[in-house]
Amino acid sequence: MLVSRHARSVLSLTTRMLGATDAEDVAQETFVSAYKALPRFQFSAKFSTWLYRIAVNKCHDVLRARRPGMISLDSTDGEDVVASIATDDETPYHELEQLELGWQLDKGIQALPPLYRESFVLKHVEGLGYEEMSEILGTSRDTLKMRVYKARTLLCRSLAHLEAARR
Amino acid sequence: MTDHVSPTEQLVQRFLDQELSADERIQFIVALGRDQMLRERVLEMERLVLDASRLARPAVPDGFVAQVMARTAHAEGGRSATREGGAWSRLIEGLWAPRALQWNLASAAAIACLALIAIGGSVTQALRWREASAAASTASATVAATPPVVLVRLVVVQPGARVVQAAGDFNGWNPSNTPLEQTADGAWTVTLPLEPGRYEYQFVVDGEQWIGDPFATEQNDDGFGSRNAVLDVRPPETI
Repeated sequence: MLVSRHARSVLSLTTRMLGATDAEDVAQETFVSAYKALPRFQFSAKFSTWLYRIAVNKCHDVLRARRPGMISLDSTDGEDVVASIATDDETPYHELEQLELGWQLDKGIQALPPLYRESFVLKHVEGLGYEEMSEILGTSRDTLKMRVYKARTLLCRSLAHLEAARR
Repeated sequence: MTDHVSPTEQLVQRFLDQELSADERIQFIVALGRDQMLRERVLEMERLVLDASRLARPAVPDGFVAQVMARTAHAEGGRSATREGGAWSRLIEGLWAPRALQWNLASAAAIACLALIAIGGSVTQALRWREASAAASTASATVAATPPVVLVRLVVVQPGARVVQAAGDFNGWNPSNTPLEQTADGAWTVTLPLEPGRYEYQFVVDGEQWIGDPFATEQNDDGFGSRNAVLDVRPPETI
């Protein structure tokens, strides 16, 4: 069925956008909203793109609610937080293994400013192209490329200690 | 990319996005050979991209689907007074309903069953379609020694179409062999007797537009930039 077929993708997106606490509820809400809006779905469109768009909007709602009146989703506040992740962690580098690397990367992604985060997740975690991302997010390809670029740069900076440990 | 990004950095980003032309790629590789800092930077970015693509997707918790269905049912109750009735709504509900291919074996002699494949949101959905089963069971007496036949109903929603046909492995990819009939509310349908097996297909709208199926559980590239839906017709279960 449609829900089970797409549940993992939607849950992956909401988890990386919101963290585990809200992810499941927002993923469920995405499907409920999709169900309500199904009669308006254009059959010429790709269903997963449409579903991602709903999920992204739900994530925006939650992120706005978490920080009422403080910050727009466009804000790049948080870059310092991302950059400081490396210094927060005292784990000896030589003991870092692949799982921990994934955990660190997840942590870095979570700390990205929301718009950089969603662009990076859709591009490199979900593996979408800029064309589809543009449809989902309603943003130009050039803007999305810039956000992905910023996200990569921030993440590289925050994960520099892991990179050093690999050498 | 904006002007804040240096030309070299733009090149790195375009390399990561696999957007460099063949000439640019050669220039880039030459630059990498000459510049160790650049090499390290690119390696670092490449690893990041690779690591991100390997991040584990969270497992879907037990009960997730059931909870969605419960919440959907709840939401449905809230809007029942405003929604339109008719076949369209029922079809939409059909697209959403759990996939449960059920064999309709009303008659002990029946070798045929029915799977409703709703296309244009295609979902293989169980239907009790006794008329079809009865017809099939009549035929069963004469085909008992032949492979079982499964009646498969294809449905596509194309409210604005003048003609809709199906083309696939079942008809030699000749759309004119399988025209669909229009039903109420913009749905088009045809029932095909198929032997168990895998069939790829597309619909042809108004004789020129070949369309895939955004909801098909399985799709294959058709080699021409489109996707074929894959229909897996299973043999009837033991009576």
